[in-house]
Amino acid sequence: MSSSVSGDKLLIMQEDVKRALARPLSQRQWAMVIDLKKCAGCHACTIACIAENVLPPHVIYRPVLEQESGVFPNVKKQFIPRPCMHCDKPPCVPACPVGATFKQADKVVAVNYEKCIGCGRCVTACPYSARALDDGSFYTEGTPAVQGYEKRPNFEYNQQWKRDSAFAAPKGRARKCTFCIHRVSQGLLPACTVTCVGRATYFGDLADPNALVSKLLKQRKYMRLLENKGTNPRVYYLL
Amino acid sequence: GKPQDKYPLDNPENIIYSVCLQCNTGCGIKVKLLNGQAVKIDGNPYSPWTMYPSIKYATDIKEAAKIDGAICPKGQSGIQTVYDPYRIRRVLKRAGKRGSNKWVSIPFSQAIKEIVYGGKLFASVPGEENRVVPGLMDVWALRDPQVAKAMAADVENLWNKKMTLAEFQSKWADHLDKLIDPAHPDLGPKNNQFVFAWGRLKGGRSEFIKRFTNDGLGSINTHGHTTVCQGSLYFTGKAMSEQYAFDSKKGKVDWTGGDKFYWQADTPNSEFILFVGASPFEANYGPAQRIPKITEGLECGRLKIAVVDPRYNKAASKAWKWLPNKPGTEAAVALAMINWIISNNKYDARYLANANKAAATADGEPTWSNASWLVKIVDGKPTEFLRGSEIGLPKISKSETISGTTYDYELDPLVVWKDGQPVAVDPNSTAEAVEGELDVETTINGITVKSSFRLLKDHALSKTIDEWADICGLEPEDLIALAREFTSHGKKAAADVHRGVSQHTNGFYNVGVWMSLNLLIGNFDWKGGMIKASTYNYDGTKTGKPFDMTKNPGKIANFGISSIRHNVKYENTTIFNGYPAKRHWYTLASDVYQEIIPSIGDAYPYPVKVLFQYMGSPVYSLPGGHKNIEVLSDVNKLPLYVAFDIVVGESSMYADYIFPDLTYLERWEFHGSHPNVAQKVQPVRQPAIAPLTEKVTVFGQTMPISLETVLLAIAEEMKLPGFGTDAFGPGRHLKHQDDMYIPMLANLAFGDDATGKETVPEASAEEIAVFYAARKHLPKEVFDPQRWQALVGESWFKRIIYLLNRGGLYQDFEKAYDGEKVKNKYGKQINLYQEKTYKTKNSMTGKAFPGLPQYIRPYADALGRPINDLSEGYNLTLITYKDILHTKSRTASNYWNLAVESENYIWVNPRDAYRYGLKTGDRVKIVSASNTSGVWDLKNGQKKEMIGKVKVTEGIRDGVIAFSLGWGHWSYGSQDVTVDGKVIKGDSRRRQGVHGNAAMRLDPVINNTCISDLAGGSAVFYDTRVKLVKV
Repeated sequence: MSSSVSGDKLLIMQEDVKRALARPLSQRQWAMVIDLKKCAGCHACTIACIAENVLPPHVIYRPVLEQESGVFPNVKKQFIPRPCMHCDKPPCVPACPVGATFKQADKVVAVNYEKCIGCGRCVTACPYSARALDDGSFYTEGTPAVQGYEKRPNFEYNQQWKRDSAFAAPKGRARKCTFCIHRVSQGLLPACTVTCVGRATYFGDLADPNALVSKLLKQRKYMRLLENKGTNPRVYYLL
Repeated sequence: GKPQDKYPLDNPENIIYSVCLQCNTGCGIKVKLLNGQAVKIDGNPYSPWTMYPSIKYATDIKEAAKIDGAICPKGQSGIQTVYDPYRIRRVLKRAGKRGSNKWVSIPFSQAIKEIVYGGKLFASVPGEENRVVPGLMDVWALRDPQVAKAMAADVENLWNKKMTLAEFQSKWADHLDKLIDPAHPDLGPKNNQFVFAWGRLKGGRSEFIKRFTNDGLGSINTHGHTTVCQGSLYFTGKAMSEQYAFDSKKGKVDWTGGDKFYWQADTPNSEFILFVGASPFEANYGPAQRIPKITEGLECGRLKIAVVDPRYNKAASKAWKWLPNKPGTEAAVALAMINWIISNNKYDARYLANANKAAATADGEPTWSNASWLVKIVDGKPTEFLRGSEIGLPKISKSETISGTTYDYELDPLVVWKDGQPVAVDPNSTAEAVEGELDVETTINGITVKSSFRLLKDHALSKTIDEWADICGLEPEDLIALAREFTSHGKKAAADVHRGVSQHTNGFYNVGVWMSLNLLIGNFDWKGGMIKASTYNYDGTKTGKPFDMTKNPGKIANFGISSIRHNVKYENTTIFNGYPAKRHWYTLASDVYQEIIPSIGDAYPYPVKVLFQYMGSPVYSLPGGHKNIEVLSDVNKLPLYVAFDIVVGESSMYADYIFPDLTYLERWEFHGSHPNVAQKVQPVRQPAIAPLTEKVTVFGQTMPISLETVLLAIAEEMKLPGFGTDAFGPGRHLKHQDDMYIPMLANLAFGDDATGKETVPEASAEEIAVFYAARKHLPKEVFDPQRWQALVGESWFKRIIYLLNRGGLYQDFEKAYDGEKVKNKYGKQINLYQEKTYKTKNSMTGKAFPGLPQYIRPYADALGRPINDLSEGYNLTLITYKDILHTKSRTASNYWNLAVESENYIWVNPRDAYRYGLKTGDRVKIVSASNTSGVWDLKNGQKKEMIGKVKVTEGIRDGVIAFSLGWGHWSYGSQDVTVDGKVIKGDSRRRQGVHGNAAMRLDPVINNTCISDLAGGSAVFYDTRVKLVKV
């Protein structure tokens, strides 16, 4: 056996993204593939996502769940990152009374913060608990001073959103993982993917057979969460 | 960012590369800025810590701006440490009794004057109306460099019996008043009553502190924290790397040059790694750079790992085998393996036979061992190595040139056995290769001898594999399987050990046994085997470097016994008073953190007047740290206590003065490396944001309050040598931190090759423009291009820009390898048998420390007697671990991490839970024989109970419980404090969880300190027997 250093997979996936961006939006089929054998349960993705998207308390786009099984000393532990599934049949979309939640041409499930009325129906509709309402709070509330990093703009959906005034979006809106489409559109990988210490998270375009995500799904066994709900998730878990 | 930027965070003008310090791993980071504020941190892709492999050093910075490397959750949340609402901005002076949490903010210059001159500084505090606090001027007694140097030499003479006490006293009659105790001149000058102690210290600041303390104030007392981490791992490394060579200081051949260091696995190339008491997925230098090399290796089938740990750590989730041993019995695991390996001839005999450098070179081996050297056996016990002269072999005449001076000397050779004859060994000979037989027991000239290898074999075979398995509580079949796997990959296997092996009373010997196991397969310096850290020099002492930053013409020599009694032989000193000593003497270790404050409390070997504490929280971090409070809170035991901190913490809350420091995003440091990184590197921490502390004036210049600023200001006030005008020699001053750091950067930009061929290029005009743009928010006191150019000239300035634009100097990934070996080699002898250790006496028992790594029963007191708490019903062994979300004392401010987990738990096995009638979520108190009430007594009228919630899990061995460090705070922003009469409310989120260190066993002999490893210095974290009391 020999070592196989041939470039960090982050670079390979970044090339995949650049190729996809050269094609029209409607010909991109973004998807995420998570290798459960490689997830180290480090939670870096969870925190990177909070930092990147300036998430308030109680809103976590990408938790990592832990499951312990077996009896001592034959113990097993599995770590399961759980972003938004960006379902191809997303229950949140029909649940939205104002059409604020919709499926983009590139398969991303997005929220139009301008339209969203914060009714919370999509939050209830999502079988993955992948959505939450931004209640307008800050982590550093109740301390000597709310800190600037919580009020800085985030760049979700390629716009600037500043949570510093009372009713400005995304305060009071439904929030969820966006596949970091604001980064992806710049040729970057989602925040969770670049900081995945175990290199367990893959991102790319399933319309491209040469993309790493496509190859992995061909080579490896995989599952999706709650297949029985018929949501057709775009997040795949390698077994 | 430019307003038209849709996403300004990938613009190189909004990026500054630096180095994380959320833990000590030192991942390269990319600090992303918006309007002068750090808003997002990712990995620096030039750093081998965050990419596998990292991008080439020459990569264009515009391209690199688009590539983010991976860092851990703590690294992601670092801006919360920096922008902590509880950060201190101004100097705080105590306004009540120590620990009362009452402060006033005072002008910087006032604090400096009070600390320098002392006086009735706390006259307004009840009980201290008439207390005269000593200032630094009071301890700065010996100031004449010539006198100090000559006295230092005479103290050595005193110890070597070349001078009597009376001779010393009469020769130095005029200067005896400068000594702590003229009857014991070897305690050194009064200057030693100043102690500078630190928790986390890295390069650059390290030079500042040592210049100030050792060379300016002339105190020997600069002490780090090594033993609270993995001291015995470092000091076993030191003992194993001692070379038998000519020592120009001693003028003779002796054991010399042992490095305080250790080896780890070359993770990206190993085929099998056995992690022992190591948790590379959570800590262990560290997740970001080791995990991908492990997970990718597992995925492609290159790698298999096994984990020996009583707790199912996260790496165990990927392991071929998880072996939950009994804590403290780690050596028994290795000895079972060694038993099998030797019994089945699975060791690398070719490697081990090499008795010297020439023999190793002939085999293409970078290292060699003393496995074949003969050790004299007296009364059945190994003693010293046999020397040629004892059996009539001639001495070897040698000549060596060391820094320009040629020395002629004689070597009394070591001896090996070969073909029925003794053969002389010159360990460092490059001409005469000597190989020895391994399994030797014989008598030469009436002297009974055994080879080092034979000693190890005898010990490993003194018990059967079943017996070793019984000691460590594992299955013999598993241990055999481990041994078979370990010896099935040539040199591409490694036993990688960490704190779980070293932090026991037997830690030094545990580590020694495990390193011996590595020796058996001869994997050192081989790809996939055991490697060491390699860093580029920055202090300028290497040939060709532009600025020698160690120059210090006015330097005062420091000498005497250190306040923690390290690196000195008790029996040689004038305060020798039989055995046991009052407290232990650490002859083989240094930076013995748990000794610093209790030794002050006991005034042994002498009272300390002033303690400076930098970036450390001994109260919180140490086992039995609550006993430190008794000293820190007592103004009679410690008259002046000054802390540098970013927040009022569990230790600094007892300080007389707290100086606000800069965090890792506001300051300079040369972070260094770790032994699992094969590349030669020097990561540079540089200011990424404007400093948040108050601006003050020192040496006529504006600067933010920081460690450096305080030291400069004190030096200015006291006119300390080594600072101010001509500090580094004519024309080279030290009046600003840049005077130290900018020339150091030039040294780094030169590289390490004397010919200069490694010198980094000058930054292009475009790169320079980006560099300036990225620093447009930095004030002049931090970034002043004119000041920098004046220090190093234009060419170095441009090279420094190239370097800083990449966050330091990083060797390209593949250049770290040379065929099947690593490029950056250790390349020296590795001791299986340690003669120097054998020749060191245990100051408590008066007996020699064993020279052979071996199994020693864990959980002993300072006299080596077993501690039997079990008989009193303390039947659970308490261990700790570090969750990846926290770093001991200083991450309670990281609210994002608290959102993932809001408290820690006490892990309990279901069988123990049944016995104790516990279920998940139950609240329990941890009590031990040395803390029967289970409390932290804060000595301010408050007590904090060690109560935590139970988590019942199959992931821990029966009889063992575990909690993760970093929780259960009572300070660090969790507690109300009063500043200038105003109450600042603490944040209860920062108080959650349990911190059980105060339950850890105090030594029954040395009552105010945790049990310790007397050879390697480790503070014991993993042996205390406790009970859980349901509340």
